[in-house]
Amino acid sequence: MIIAPFATAKDGVAREAALFQAGKPALLLWQAEAQALVLPSAVARRPAFQAHLQQTQAAGYQVVTRGSGGGIVPQGACTLNLAICAPHGSGFSLEDGYRLICGALAEALSRFDIDAQTGACPGSFCDGAWNVLVQGRKLAGTAQRVRTTPEGRVALLHAAILLHLPDPGHWAELCLLNQAAFPSDPLLRPDAHTTIASLMSEAPNQQRSFPGALIRAAEDRLSALMLREKRAA
Amino acid sequence: MATDIIIPSDLWDGDEECVITAWLASDSALVSEGALIAEIMTAKVQYEILAPASGTLSIAKAQDEVAAKGDVIGDVS
Repeated sequence: MIIAPFATAKDGVAREAALFQAGKPALLLWQAEAQALVLPSAVARRPAFQAHLQQTQAAGYQVVTRGSGGGIVPQGACTLNLAICAPHGSGFSLEDGYRLICGALAEALSRFDIDAQTGACPGSFCDGAWNVLVQGRKLAGTAQRVRTTPEGRVALLHAAILLHLPDPGHWAELCLLNQAAFPSDPLLRPDAHTTIASLMSEAPNQQRSFPGALIRAAEDRLSALMLREKRAA
Repeated sequence: MATDIIIPSDLWDGDEECVITAWLASDSALVSEGALIAEIMTAKVQYEILAPASGTLSIAKAQDEVAAKGDVIGDVS
């Protein structure tokens, strides 16, 4: 099975954290069954934010924290996650990390004749300079976490890829929590996003093939990086 | 003698500043060398800051303050 299924996003995030802690090169493509909102632990720790988190949980949505940076991300059947644990040797910049994971996504999409770019997308969730965009709309958001081990630095590169838009209730809760966490950010807009389902709507078999293309593209890039690191050592 | 806690200058390429997103040990707490004591973030990348020595932590830059590569954000004595 290419996509690891988890009952909850908490389980998926925990698996990512375990791979990251192990410090070895690894790839994980995963999806959670239950709807949840995932946010950086740095945001979740804010004392003024606790009441908002409790409201979200009372509305029936799980709240999960993650170690990497960024904003709030909807999880559940709407989101496919790609995690790459990569060596972060000298000369490997944060831009290199983003190029690796965004490049893997762009290559996988190109197999289906979809052109992707990277850039910011105001009005999208978890916005940043390294979104994967198709026709100016956000398909995936990315973030990283870097830790130092006795053997050197290791990076966890993460992409959250929209398979389809969250259902209306899930979306509304995302908007409420996002506004509370980042009040100066633009309001989130559904039309700032695109999804795998809409991009491949005329060929459902492509939707089924996409995870395989993605993991192969990520594997190619991770292998090439490991080879470069080995040669540099 | 105090050992400075410095944001490493080789963590990222550009001159972007970072934000201290969390201190994971309190001011005046005893910390062990290599322990995770702080997290910083720039461009949606979270970096871990480890204690450079064992001793008493003194925080110079608080959570949510902006810092640059090479800045001293605290010390351990």
